[in-house]
Amino acid sequence: MSRIFLDEQTLLDRLNLNDTEAFEELYFRYWHGLYIYCLKKLHSPQDSKIIVRDIFRTIWEMRSSLPVSFSLTKYLYEEVRKQVVKTLNEKLASAIEAGAIEKRLTHEFSVESLQAAKKPAQKRYAAINSRSELLRQHAGQRGTSHTTFENIKWIFQSVSSKLSLNNILSYPKN
Amino acid sequence: MKSETLHSKLERYAAGKAMPAEARQIQTWLSCTDSNKELSPEEKSLLELEILQEVQAYTAYPLFYPKKKSWWQKITALF
Repeated sequence: MSRIFLDEQTLLDRLNLNDTEAFEELYFRYWHGLYIYCLKKLHSPQDSKIIVRDIFRTIWEMRSSLPVSFSLTKYLYEEVRKQVVKTLNEKLASAIEAGAIEKRLTHEFSVESLQAAKKPAQKRYAAINSRSELLRQHAGQRGTSHTTFENIKWIFQSVSSKLSLNNILSYPKN
Repeated sequence: MKSETLHSKLERYAAGKAMPAEARQIQTWLSCTDSNKELSPEEKSLLELEILQEVQAYTAYPLFYPKKKSWWQKITALF
């Protein structure tokens, strides 16, 4: 397979002109992330495959009606979450599969399991606090005044928050 | 949580009628991706082609928009 190393907007423009290679490049870029996300949530390779297939089928079908400010990553992020909820809901509706899902999935909705979602933020704040503590110790050793230390701490925190914000903005949530 | 409770929560969430606490719970679950699930390279390449072929079968785009042959394919076709 040949790959096209172009930015997303150019690929979307080419997709609008029925370029199948641009479509396949977008598929190769994003299918794996979407599939793994669905697999983690639904624990079903078959359902994950169907969700990924349907998302890309829809993208091809709506290629000529994409809005100017269309963001593919945002669309994929929203769509995969929507499809996961829809699929899980459908499975719970059928009596045969509901029992198996109850064993497998309902513990994931417990408070303890959901706490795991908050861990990265907690770790980040813990890291900032430990670095601040380190800075405070250095300041104490060098005899730097408290005001200078607070200024350094403020700069450090604003830079790290800006960096984490940039990471969130640049990385697709999947 | 019982499957009936989860079903009714998801039903309300999908319809946009979930209470804020329910919506937060479902969104947190959707954001929680701590389990490790990976595919082997062989599995990955097989699945990649399999899903793409299914998309092609559904949309039939290779039929309506066939790929243009590159210059080297045209030259090799002459021989």
